[in-house]
Amino acid sequence: MPVPTTGHTTESLTTWLAERIALYLKRQPAEIDPDVPLAEYGLDSVAALSLCGDIEDDFDLVIEPTAAWDYPTVHALAGHLVEELAAEAAKDGGA
Amino acid sequence: MEHQPYRLAEEFDRFLGDPDDPGEVFSHARCVELDDKEEFPADICRRFQEWGLPEQYVPVEYGGRLRDYEQVLQLVRAVARRDLTCAIGHGKTYLGGVCVWVAGSAEQGARLGAEIMAGVPVSLGLTERAHGSDLLAGDVRTDDKAADTEGHWLVSGEKWLINNATRGSVLALLTRTRPDGGPRGFSVLLVDKRELDEDTYRHLPKIRTHGIRGADISGIAFDGARVPRGALVGAEGAGLEIVLKALQLTRTMCAALSLGAADHGLRLGLDFAEERELYGRRLIDLPQARQVLAGAAADVLLHEAVALVAARAVQTQTAELGVTSAVTKYLLPTGTDQVLADLTGLLGARAFLKGVYAGGRFQKVARDHRIVGLFDGNTLVNLNSLVNQFRSLARGFRRGTGDTAGADAACDLTAPLPPLDPARLTLVTRHGSGVMAGLAASVDEITRRAEQNPVIGPVAAAARRLLDVTTAVHAEMEEYQGVLTEVPPAAFEVARRYTLCWAGAACLGLWTHSTDHFGDDPGTGELWRDGRWLHTALDRLLVRLGEPAAAGEETYEELLGALRAARSSGRLFSLLPQRLPERQPVRTGAAAVESERTSC
Repeated sequence: MPVPTTGHTTESLTTWLAERIALYLKRQPAEIDPDVPLAEYGLDSVAALSLCGDIEDDFDLVIEPTAAWDYPTVHALAGHLVEELAAEAAKDGGA
Repeated sequence: MEHQPYRLAEEFDRFLGDPDDPGEVFSHARCVELDDKEEFPADICRRFQEWGLPEQYVPVEYGGRLRDYEQVLQLVRAVARRDLTCAIGHGKTYLGGVCVWVAGSAEQGARLGAEIMAGVPVSLGLTERAHGSDLLAGDVRTDDKAADTEGHWLVSGEKWLINNATRGSVLALLTRTRPDGGPRGFSVLLVDKRELDEDTYRHLPKIRTHGIRGADISGIAFDGARVPRGALVGAEGAGLEIVLKALQLTRTMCAALSLGAADHGLRLGLDFAEERELYGRRLIDLPQARQVLAGAAADVLLHEAVALVAARAVQTQTAELGVTSAVTKYLLPTGTDQVLADLTGLLGARAFLKGVYAGGRFQKVARDHRIVGLFDGNTLVNLNSLVNQFRSLARGFRRGTGDTAGADAACDLTAPLPPLDPARLTLVTRHGSGVMAGLAASVDEITRRAEQNPVIGPVAAAARRLLDVTTAVHAEMEEYQGVLTEVPPAAFEVARRYTLCWAGAACLGLWTHSTDHFGDDPGTGELWRDGRWLHTALDRLLVRLGEPAAAGEETYEELLGALRAARSSGRLFSLLPQRLPERQPVRTGAAAVESERTSC
């Protein structure tokens, strides 16, 4: 079930992303520093593209697969997602 | 029914003349000679130019004739059927142009298109000596600290193992334009060597190779080469993305090289078996030889079916090309290497000797084809790319999502193809594979047909088994869906099984959507009727998936009959009719008469 698209914060998305990336890397979420580039954990650039599928599935939000290249840390990506979710909510509200 | 891509390929082949005639420019004899001398086939490439092959590499929007990728597939296959060095050496220009077709400006596209049509070789510079397939580790870079960066990039570094690095005048170069930019640190520059100061670049020597010995596999080293800012293709920092999208197109088109090599190898194997006689028996009359030939024939048609669907899918389901291209680039090269290995067993020493049988062409085609599984993303790179997509592929299969309408259009050979929209290329297949999602419907359809026509019963039963295996493979994929780093060997094996299932789904889709249009052809119709080619294709796939066989000896005997009939009536052994320019082999004895009769 998609999570409702409202009420997300940078904090909640940071937690979600850290959990998801920990799963990919077979680590504990606590080991993922939100300000360290994902590549430094061994998540290569092609593997990072897969994140967009999980984001779409859990948040019903379509983002560019290359978002993880443009926003290379958990923090940066969480910030981007908050903006995108807000834009999406505004669009839905206006429709 | 006529199929245009095969018609034009037939016309092109006729223009090139009879390859068995040593007086022709593009003859087998000439290709063997050039290979021995390790010489580039420049005179043969001029013949391609005379006919207008380069126009087929340039999209119509840039003034060329490239509208349907299916057409390029059959044209390059016709070249590859004679000689892979020529197909790779000339086809490389398409590779060089493709980054511009994917992301260049209209002006860039028109200018490059005009150059290509004028016969200028273009090349693609990706790999480097120290980094192999790891594009992100590239060291060819621009130096921003230099004085005149306003109007120019200053490019330094070395690209190595580049096809046509020396012959090419223009080079699409993956360059690091921001040292700490990670995947956004790369850009594609369209470097025109003719505009560079000659002191700022040099060619690396031609590398001697096991196969395609005449090809220009070399390298180029830049030392502060001044490249105009206008050489940038697409956005700065978009280089890796552009290249990965371009590779989806080129990997799919590599199928043409494997198809052509297999056409050639199968022809040599068949002719040898027909002609070879020991102790009063011909090789073709021995059960073991018949089995090898029929198996190779089944694989050739299976590969052709996959390539047809994949090449059409470039335009009908562009957003899934990341999967289509990985499956195709894995399956056709490895499958064709296997076909050639099987035929090697048939030819025995003749597969190894130079100049004893057919000018030593078999050992040449087997050597030449080895490169196809290595370049442009090797076997492991392609399987790895599928493993990375297991999550969305498994999810899509569970939900029945994916572009099924696009898959249906790819499988219906009479459906017109929409123009390619490069903007729809994407690095991730989001909702699964439409080809896989359509499998259940194809199985229902063939089951329905089997109720009307019981002869199809065993084919429908094989199709149902394929669906069961495919479902099981997707369950295995779910186990590895979190694996994005340090992919275990078992996940590669699951990816291999996935490619076999995808191929089966494509074959079933192709047959169910197209058989009503192609069953009447006097030559190739018998392959379609009663699901004959489909039957052996599914059998080959199921056996490779570790399942019991689905087709018996009599089915393969029928296929062997079709192979011999095609040869004796001057047709290409293929799913759709195409005549070949070769003279007919002169054969004596009952079998030759019999195969002549079958062709009528």
